[in-house]
Amino acid sequence: MHELSIANNIVTIVEEEYKKLDCNGMVQKVYFNTGRMNAIIPDSLKFGFNTIKQNKVFLKEAELIIIESPIILKCKKCNIEKEIDEPFFICEKCGSTNIEVISGMEMYIDSIEVDDNCN
Amino acid sequence: MKINIIRKVLEVNDRLADEIREKTNLYKTLVVNIMSSPGSGKTSILEKILPLLTEKGYNVGVIEGDIATIKDAQRISNKNIPVTQINTDKFGGDCHLGSEVILPALETFDLEKMDIVIIENVGNLVCPAEFDTGSDYNIVVISTTEGEDKPLKYPLMFRVCQFGIINKIDLLPYLDFDISELKTNINKINPNMEIVESSAKTVDGIEKIINWFENHLK
Repeated sequence: MHELSIANNIVTIVEEEYKKLDCNGMVQKVYFNTGRMNAIIPDSLKFGFNTIKQNKVFLKEAELIIIESPIILKCKKCNIEKEIDEPFFICEKCGSTNIEVISGMEMYIDSIEVDDNCN
Repeated sequence: MKINIIRKVLEVNDRLADEIREKTNLYKTLVVNIMSSPGSGKTSILEKILPLLTEKGYNVGVIEGDIATIKDAQRISNKNIPVTQINTDKFGGDCHLGSEVILPALETFDLEKMDIVIIENVGNLVCPAEFDTGSDYNIVVISTTEGEDKPLKYPLMFRVCQFGIINKIDLLPYLDFDISELKTNINKINPNMEIVESSAKTVDGIEKIINWFENHLK
């Protein structure tokens, strides 16, 4: 259940950013980006987020929007980039194992939407 | 109104993990994080390698992570090895060890004297892969009773580990387990992973694990 720790971290970061805004509005949306490698179960993460947000007045109405980014590999030998659906981390073209995962491992808060004009 | 943020969700964990590496580099202490599903033999392997590492003159400490009980810590401390127990139920029953609990656990050791600290993570192939513990290397243990397809089901775990131990090979004659298929699957996820076969019961392969540790000392 790493989703609960992750939901907790999301709320902490959103709270920090919200306080910087000097704003009375309510947060309506939180856009969260996660790579497919992270194996996050969206329903579990939303459940965690919706439970924790109840403790924060500014966040009570917020919806967590999860954007999943695909796994994209780059072969460091032949420079080819390819999106994969099955876990197979060897270059299909040249067979090299020198592969960089350029998308699919990330996990970050992209943005928030607030329902009021802030300073 | 939309406000762009772009902040990594695990930034605090990652920052503390880097702090741990800075600290242990200073003292030249090798930190290794061992992960696996429950029951694949992490503690049994430790029970075999710890006395051998001690015999060779290395100072080794162990950080034991479990959701509850101090049973594993007792097994290790029976080998006269300094051990610090982390029970994650105090932190909400977490399924993994984050760097925020590793840092204070490390401080219970005299790092100046420590050659190796081994973190035995909570048994789980999903969550621990996500959280950087501040270790220098990650090891995954997979046993012959688990199924050859595990690397494909838990790719992140096999991607973040540099060393793989296939344990319980003494059971191979009694199982329909295809060890070459397992290796092929590991290869699909992480072709650069070093792999050894071992049995904590018959001590086959234990020497190779010791060699791995000796080759990675700081």
